[in-house]
Amino acid sequence: MNKLGRGQRDKVQQFMSITGSSEKVAVQALKASDWQFEGAFDIFYSHSHAKSAADTRHLEELYNRYKDPYADMILVDGITLLCNDLQVDPQDIVMLVVSWHMKAATMCEFSKQEFITGLQSLGIDSMDKLKERIPFMRSELKDEQKFREIYNYAFGWAKEKGQKSLALDTAIGMWQLLFAEKQWPLVDHWCQFLQARHNKAISRDTWSQLLEFARIVDPALSNYDPEGAWPYLIDEFVDYLTEHGIIQKGKLNDWSYKL
Amino acid sequence: MVLHKFGEKLYSGLVSTMTLHLQSMSKSIEAAQGASFLDELNAKWNNHNKALQMIRDILMYVDRTLIPSTHKTPVHELGLNLWRDYVIHSCNIQSRLLNTILELIQRERTGEVINRGLMRNIIKMLMDLGASVYQEDFEKPFLNVSADYYQAESQEYIECCDCADYLKKAERRLNEDIDRVSHYLDTKTEPKITNVVEKEMIANHMLRLVHMENSGLVKMLLDDKSEDLARMYNLFRRVSDGLSTIRNVMTSHMRDTGNQLVTDPEKSKNPVEFVETLLEKRDKYDKIISSAFSNDKTFQNALSSSFEYFINLNPRSPEYISLFVDDKLRKGLKGVKDEDVELILDKVMILFRYLQEKDVFEKYYKQHLAKRLLSGKTVSDDAERSLIVKLKTECGYQFTSKLEGMFTDMKTSQDTMQGFYAACGAELGNGPALVVQVLTTGSWPTQSTNTCNLPAELSTLCEKFRSYYLRTHTGRRLTWQTNMGTADLRATFGNVQKYELNVSTYQMCVLMLFNSNEHLSYKEIEQVTEIPSSDLKRCLQSLACVKGKNVLRKEPMSKDIGEDDAFSVNDNFTSKLRKVKIGTVVAQKESEPEKQETRQRVEEDRKPQIEAAIVRIMKSRRVLDHNNIIAEVTKQLQSRFLANPGEIKKRIESLIERDFLERDNADRRLYRYLA
Repeated sequence: MNKLGRGQRDKVQQFMSITGSSEKVAVQALKASDWQFEGAFDIFYSHSHAKSAADTRHLEELYNRYKDPYADMILVDGITLLCNDLQVDPQDIVMLVVSWHMKAATMCEFSKQEFITGLQSLGIDSMDKLKERIPFMRSELKDEQKFREIYNYAFGWAKEKGQKSLALDTAIGMWQLLFAEKQWPLVDHWCQFLQARHNKAISRDTWSQLLEFARIVDPALSNYDPEGAWPYLIDEFVDYLTEHGIIQKGKLNDWSYKL
Repeated sequence: MVLHKFGEKLYSGLVSTMTLHLQSMSKSIEAAQGASFLDELNAKWNNHNKALQMIRDILMYVDRTLIPSTHKTPVHELGLNLWRDYVIHSCNIQSRLLNTILELIQRERTGEVINRGLMRNIIKMLMDLGASVYQEDFEKPFLNVSADYYQAESQEYIECCDCADYLKKAERRLNEDIDRVSHYLDTKTEPKITNVVEKEMIANHMLRLVHMENSGLVKMLLDDKSEDLARMYNLFRRVSDGLSTIRNVMTSHMRDTGNQLVTDPEKSKNPVEFVETLLEKRDKYDKIISSAFSNDKTFQNALSSSFEYFINLNPRSPEYISLFVDDKLRKGLKGVKDEDVELILDKVMILFRYLQEKDVFEKYYKQHLAKRLLSGKTVSDDAERSLIVKLKTECGYQFTSKLEGMFTDMKTSQDTMQGFYAACGAELGNGPALVVQVLTTGSWPTQSTNTCNLPAELSTLCEKFRSYYLRTHTGRRLTWQTNMGTADLRATFGNVQKYELNVSTYQMCVLMLFNSNEHLSYKEIEQVTEIPSSDLKRCLQSLACVKGKNVLRKEPMSKDIGEDDAFSVNDNFTSKLRKVKIGTVVAQKESEPEKQETRQRVEEDRKPQIEAAIVRIMKSRRVLDHNNIIAEVTKQLQSRFLANPGEIKKRIESLIERDFLERDNADRRLYRYLA
């Protein structure tokens, strides 16, 4: 450790706390990836794949633990149990990340295929290993590119099967959750606006474009371009903000924000 | 002498001789008093010229041999130069000459007659002495003096004259100077002096003239003063920005008055009057532009753009224009000659072209046409068709295909009726005569069908028709439109008075009930006929509450229809005419709720049109950015209506939702067509 610089030592500590690995492994992985976390994580986790063959039996057992008694799927009760085992709140956003890794089609259920294949691809065959992985998954939300993928994935995951659009209430819930991570100051106004003015389901285009809006346009709307091909609903939102004096000449007059 | 090499001596001798001679001449000219100064100068100049001629002839040899080799000035030119130097430019003569000339011109300007011949000679002398002499010794000062003169004069006039008078004066001055040039100045001076006049008298006061209260451009337009306007046009045309000044003031005046006209609630009460006022206004300006502004294209364009601007300020314009046409085709064109009919229709087309919301016009026109056709109330079939052709030329086949379909249906129905009576006439015997118009659903304005029980005699007849029709046209479905029909009834009142009543189908159903009943209550009538209550109430009102048309008596005598009101035949009914018209299926200005409904339908109809345009454009372009799509779609739909960018955006999103389009992954403002 004494050959490492201050920054590097910090990285090693972080890596260890996230992956639960030993210092030696941490330093190895980080060195091999030129001290970039992304690469280091990949290296670390890909080692686990070597054991995949023997694990299918473990995974089957795991699946059966959570599987619903009447259907060949993991449903709400199973998920609650799973979350308990992980010591994670079922409402915790990290469960979304888990679902994303498993490519689960709909929220609150995992098919056998999704569960087993998903865990395999993560190189995980036990609850302990999954628990260890949770902090890493949380960190994935901080990555801009991954967050966008997870966000867009969330639309398909959260909506009803067979529906094209996402019910408003569900959408609002998801947005509250997601933008708590991303820290978008206008999220509450957006939700209020929708409830007051829109009251209809949310289309996929609006969903995905909202993230772009939150990313690109600053909360005081100083760089908002009315000709910028934003979905109609977002244009209406901007009008709503100006109407209610929340945005005035590029200033954000949001009293609640200060609190 | 030249031959003997004495050329130089000859030449210099010539120079000195002439110089001396000219000096003395100059003195004698100076001595001339007052008016004779110019005469003296003129005379001496003539002499000098003659002398020069002779000398030149004599010394021709010198010119030809000595001059080229020594580069001396040729003899004639030498003579002129000397004249110039010793006479014209002699200190006593130079300024006196100029002042004399200018004074004479000044006198002529104030109305005196001067000796133009003398002036011409003197000026010509200056011209002959060389362009620079003419310009320096005369033209430049002349222009400056004129500028000062006109500046002062224009200032004086503008204070005391009104616009028309001022323009007359300006025109006069301009013409005078042009005249002056032609009589005794160098033609090259003409554009220079006219510039001066134009600048001082016109350009400097242009705005003030145009905006002059009570006599400026606006007043002239209002009072149709075409002569004054023509003068203004011709004068202003000479200065830069002159015409655009007139045009701008005229345009804003037209827009303002047009705006007032269309937003005035009084004026927009009666649709026919409204349109007539518009047509009058257009005629007025057309006449002004052709008589006073020599049909200048830019003015025509200004007229069109102004009309386009304010006609669309009133959202009811399309409806009103259609009502105007309806009125004309219903009765207004009765007895009018064919050419005049064409004239009126052409004028209507001009107004139509100004409309932004042509699809709204189409909707109303369809409704009104349907009413006209079904009630048989059109004055001239030819006029109807002529207008359709004009609309087709303007807007293309799609606009008029449904309208033409309506005409076709009418014709086909006639044939169908003939066939019906030919086939079934025998068994129908002496029953009521039935005339059916079979309307193709897509072509005619949509109507909701209501319940209505026809009297027994009629329903059997109708059924017979239905089976006849379906025999030849299997697979079709017929629905009786009882709210659009009419009936002719022969009625006997009080056993004596006989009348022929022309009524609507609903009214007929109600009246027929009284063949077997003395008294009926509203409830009973409603039960038997099953006509929807709001229609039934209106129907009963028209039969019982309208003076002169009250074939029914109502108790109580109130205007409103109550549930328990009792009706009976009014045996005391009289009318001056044998044939009484009670049913009205005439097109009228829509009520507020009807208007809202129509507007809503128009908006709904626009959505698929916008989508079709988007798909068409994207199919050919494959990839296009947001702003360009909006621009292209708006352009494509321009001939029918002005597409709202917000609405276009919504349609794009709907198409994305239905997987016709997608956003580009990299640039979120690009759209991609999905095959």
